[in-house]
Amino acid sequence: MHHRQIRNFSIIAHIDHGKSTLADRFLEITGALRPREMEEQVLDSMDLERERGITIKAHAVRLSYTADDGESYVLNLIDTPGHVDFSYEVTRSLAACEGALLLVDASQGVEAQTVANAYLAVDNDLEIVPVINKVDLPGAQPDETAVQIEDLIGLDPSHALLASAKEGIGAREILEAVVARVPPPAGDPEAPLRALIFDSWYDAYRGVIVLIRVVEGAVRSRMKVRLMAAAQDYEVEQVGVFAPKPSAVAQLGVGEVGFLIANVKNVAEARIGDTVTEASRPAARPLPGFQETKPMVFAGLYPVESHQYSDLREALEKLRLNDAAFFFEPETSAALGFGFRCGFLGLLHMEIVQERLEREFDMDLVTTAPGVLYRVTTIDGDVFDIDSPAKLPDAGRIARVEEPVITAMILTPADQVGGILKLCQEKRGVQKALEYHAAHRVLISYELPFNEVVLDFYDRLKTLSRGYASLDYHVSGYWESPLVKLDLLVNGDPVDALSIIVHKEMAYARGRALVSKMRQLIPRQMFEVAIQAAVGTRIIARESVKALRKNVTAKCYGGDITRKRKLLERQKEGKRRMKRVGSVEIPQEAFLAVLKVDDD
Amino acid sequence: MGVPRNERVRRDGDVEGDGALGLYVHVPFCAAICGYCNFNRGLLDEDLKRAYVTALTREIERSGDGRRVDSIFFGGGTPSLLAVEEVARVLDACGRAFDVAPDVETTLEMNPESCSPSYVSALLGAGINRISLGVQSFDDGELARLGRAHSAEQAREAFAAIRGAGCGNVSLDMMLWLPAQSRAACAASVEALVALAPDHASLYMLELYPNAPLREEAARRGWSQAPDEDAAAMYLDAFARTDAAGYEQYEISNVARPGRRSRHNLKYWRDGEWLGFGCGAHSTRGGVRWKNLSETARYVDAVEQGARVAETRRRLSVEERLGDALFTGLRLAEGIDVAVVGRRYGVDLEARYGSDVGRFVDAGWMTDAGGRWRLTRAGMLISNAVLSTFV
Repeated sequence: MHHRQIRNFSIIAHIDHGKSTLADRFLEITGALRPREMEEQVLDSMDLERERGITIKAHAVRLSYTADDGESYVLNLIDTPGHVDFSYEVTRSLAACEGALLLVDASQGVEAQTVANAYLAVDNDLEIVPVINKVDLPGAQPDETAVQIEDLIGLDPSHALLASAKEGIGAREILEAVVARVPPPAGDPEAPLRALIFDSWYDAYRGVIVLIRVVEGAVRSRMKVRLMAAAQDYEVEQVGVFAPKPSAVAQLGVGEVGFLIANVKNVAEARIGDTVTEASRPAARPLPGFQETKPMVFAGLYPVESHQYSDLREALEKLRLNDAAFFFEPETSAALGFGFRCGFLGLLHMEIVQERLEREFDMDLVTTAPGVLYRVTTIDGDVFDIDSPAKLPDAGRIARVEEPVITAMILTPADQVGGILKLCQEKRGVQKALEYHAAHRVLISYELPFNEVVLDFYDRLKTLSRGYASLDYHVSGYWESPLVKLDLLVNGDPVDALSIIVHKEMAYARGRALVSKMRQLIPRQMFEVAIQAAVGTRIIARESVKALRKNVTAKCYGGDITRKRKLLERQKEGKRRMKRVGSVEIPQEAFLAVLKVDDD
Repeated sequence: MGVPRNERVRRDGDVEGDGALGLYVHVPFCAAICGYCNFNRGLLDEDLKRAYVTALTREIERSGDGRRVDSIFFGGGTPSLLAVEEVARVLDACGRAFDVAPDVETTLEMNPESCSPSYVSALLGAGINRISLGVQSFDDGELARLGRAHSAEQAREAFAAIRGAGCGNVSLDMMLWLPAQSRAACAASVEALVALAPDHASLYMLELYPNAPLREEAARRGWSQAPDEDAAAMYLDAFARTDAAGYEQYEISNVARPGRRSRHNLKYWRDGEWLGFGCGAHSTRGGVRWKNLSETARYVDAVEQGARVAETRRRLSVEERLGDALFTGLRLAEGIDVAVVGRRYGVDLEARYGSDVGRFVDAGWMTDAGGRWRLTRAGMLISNAVLSTFV
């Protein structure tokens, strides 16, 4: 296969704009799957992805396509993760391509994420082919969408293709455009091997499957290769392609996309963005752009039942096999017992891990409120990062605390701007840009403390804009802030798992809101329960849960016994799932309540 | 640990009927449907009722094994919709099938609107010797909100009719914590009940099951139930009043004059055995629990065809029997004899529950004295929180 006949491309799209459906059409047209093998939305293979309608793992599919010019082409469709938590993975997937389809829903218009990813594609010098999808729907506004594409992304919309992936309209024309407009890969086949790793996952039978794009040279089985950032050598067992079923090939040459199996034990060794080269004839330099992905959001995960601790550890280890960005270490909480401090790329990543633990590993978990990585400088001049409020030193020892800052891009209809600006101000944001674009779309850019965004920013943005505003962000640095630790006390005992780090000026309002939320969540108990919020030794808010006064089943006769027993069993089960702090039983929801409070 | 042998399943201190069975007879018909009730019942249909009574007598006769029976209870539904002759036929069947004690307690539930003096006299003549009258409240506004077909005055007249006919064992059913009921209004109803001087009374805090029509109507009309603090006060007020009037509270919701506790209902709380007849009736005997077909017509057909009427049947594990014995036994003011119940099921209760009981004693919810665990009245009010420990 000469690399002139290869086209490597990905699809940039917002969630639900039709990426998976379009991919299905490509598979059908190219005969990669017979109809009976067609499973709706083949590219999203994990259950979770399908339920959430998002794509988490990148995949690559090789399509054999005979174009209208009569020539045969190999089209490699490289799927990209569709969420802001995975933007680094997106950049590496895009780096494996020469072109991208920019897929926009004709009724929804351009969303923030699409803009952000389109910019990434432009930065990677990709040829971008705009596609306006769902043109058959009654609410479709293809002309307006085209204007947005030009105005917001700066692309010439005159060559935009119109499609309905669902109906199969325009799919073939899109493939023709890929052949005609996306440049073929270029690279020296004789040069030392350089291949970009853009995805990897753990397979119980084969070990780690590494997805690569060969940039220069070639890779074949039995070759001794080196992963340059990992500085580890392996012998290649097999190279192959997904078409979409895996099939072995003799070698992968310049521009080709496929998989490599080389007895890699875990995904942390084959990190996304690393370069594969030949061990005996290594390339002088790795491919540019490699970064270590670092977890940015941290939370404690605790088993509801303490005896599940070792099961939880085992489950976390298994997840980690397949998720290099996921971090965990043992942590002890006075309130929750033995558990783990876990690090995630972002909130979605956290939710995914949580759900997989519950679903695939059948774990009952208590999750503490997520926080970010703070940088502390002590008066002695020590500088360190803390991933948990419990690790914040006493106020007297702190010279300064810095918090991570994100640059957020929000795209919204003009009539929502006021509320969004107010929210950003309330969240201690600094405005960077406010641009009015065509079709009453406004692009708002802010620097915001990441912890405020982790708290509840996204939910509130969505509510405020009735779902119309979209958000994209990246962590852009640190700034110094007067941050304090807010503690929550139950009957005088601090509940370490409920401590949060907040801006000094917000401590009072947050404390009051948290205490009142706790009052609603903590059920009445044998004794009155005092709930207090404190900064240091100063109590800033207090409420109480009155003692249980009435909880009685009035009637219990012959026919009721089984039913009443079930009721008591349910009550017992509910109690079992609570965590006891001192003599107070606290339900699991309380540990996440920090997230759900309104300051106002 | 096996299932305890039968002779070890001995009733402790059940002075009223050592080892005797209770019989429950279900009457699934009502003249009107109350919006708070979720018992198995339907509107009256005379033809169906006739066939039903015949089916009942057949079921009783074919279940009979000559065992001692010391209580028979007609519940519903509205048992007072049965003709006296129908009640008599059922009692005859019981007499033929079981060894009915001469002093058997024979209860029939009545509604005030169906209590004519002649009917009550005839019932007593047929062998009924205890009547449980559902008055629910002595406030006409509250009765109307409950959808009851009688007034407070009618309830008083019904009570007078029952007494006039010579019934010396009458129980009144009343509900506390009704929608839109104040603490004072609740106390007034209790006062009216005490004034009638019944032999026994059941005072139930209203429980609205999730889809109860009354719940919806109350929500629609803004009839809210008083907050928990007031509900607790209503309960405590009510039983303080019955205490003062010389009644003994012997169960979470039941009071009686000395010697007038419900022998039948005690079987449910003292780990006893009973057989239920009729559609949807439950039985527990020899560690097996079963329930008859719920639907009236299907039940009748099954009996006519000689088919099984039990819809579900389950042998209880020792753990289940222990849990049931504990949570029902603790409903009684007398509580449970820790050693006796422990021995019966081969479990060291002190070792298993001692520390929980200690906490409850400290909270003032239980007492632990004389080898018995008991709920205090405050404990009865929050009894679910305590009893859930034992299941």
